[in-house]
Amino acid sequence: MKVLQVIDQAFRTNTEEQDDTILWLIGSMRGVGADLMLLLSGHSAYYAVLRQRQPPLSLAEWQQTQPADIPKDVTNLITKGVPIYVIKEDLEERGLGKLPLISGVKVVARNALANLYEQADQVWNW
Amino acid sequence: MSDYLFIQSQDPFTEARTQSHYQLAQTLQQAGHKVSMLLVQNGVIPARHGAQSPLFDELQQSGIAITADIFSLAQREITLQELKSHVSPGHIDTVIDAMLAGHKVIWN
Amino acid sequence: MSETKTLTFAFMDPPFENERTITFFRLLDAALDKGSNVRIFAYEGAVALAFAKQQPHGNAVHGRETVEEDHPLTRDWITALQHKARVKGLNFEWINCGLCVDERGVNEVIDGCGRGGPPDLWRYASDAFNTLTIGTR
Repeated sequence: MKVLQVIDQAFRTNTEEQDDTILWLIGSMRGVGADLMLLLSGHSAYYAVLRQRQPPLSLAEWQQTQPADIPKDVTNLITKGVPIYVIKEDLEERGLGKLPLISGVKVVARNALANLYEQADQVWNW
Repeated sequence: MSDYLFIQSQDPFTEARTQSHYQLAQTLQQAGHKVSMLLVQNGVIPARHGAQSPLFDELQQSGIAITADIFSLAQREITLQELKSHVSPGHIDTVIDAMLAGHKVIWN
Repeated sequence: MSETKTLTFAFMDPPFENERTITFFRLLDAALDKGSNVRIFAYEGAVALAFAKQQPHGNAVHGRETVEEDHPLTRDWITALQHKARVKGLNFEWINCGLCVDERGVNEVIDGCGRGGPPDLWRYASDAFNTLTIGTR
């Protein structure tokens, strides 16, 4: 069974979870052999172009030591064999269309999504 | 060709992503797949006669079968007579029927 | 006799925050009505849905004491669905993501709800006839 995972939002709990919890979930499932594809849509288009770790949070004397590393997490998924796509128009409408993508991320136009959705047996929206 | 059921909880008045949801449904429909949509929660709000949503009205004209969850309608006191012409009353078990038929069931 | 199908659901929302929670439970109830076995993977905030220490309370604004207010608790909904499944001869399984439980401190869960992780979601989904995920916002 092949499942297309669709992430449609971003930065929701990246600070306190120190990752994106759906990227994490996908990585964990891939670790047990799940056949997965990932579509970055909406604000998660940002995940295709980030270059750095998230800024650490400071509150009073509390200092975060391990902020999320989204580029690393995205790259790891690709290395583990999860094809990752990002929607072209979602990049463009956020002013990201000219930025370099994380290596291995593929761009898909909205009008080509039907083909992508058909490659999967199931589609899991998050 | 596949069957798709979208459970549409987001509405075009408060959630900008709803436009993309509607567009994807229409893209799949135009590609020849059978697409239906069950409106739930605030997703039913544009289905009320007089609600001003060009996006929803375009969706209605697309041929996608649109139903509105009766419970969600009752919460908002939208009577069946007040539904826009291309929207039918629907039941939550539509989702289960679709899942049990092996359709691709997607939550928005 | 046709074989009973199993449906898997993944959910993320905590109790008392969002309308999605209601729709989710209505779906589980409908799945049992349709004669389906049900498996749930509760992720992130949803692990609090089965927290055993949820307590009802009165409501002075409503003018009702605790008993009369009869405040809904999601742990009671899960218990009711477990009972319904038993009566109908169906399976109803609930797993919480363990790390999500730990960070929220909701380790005490009602009977019949277990602890696991993402491999369990994949296992549930692989063994099920179909799966629906409901993300949070």
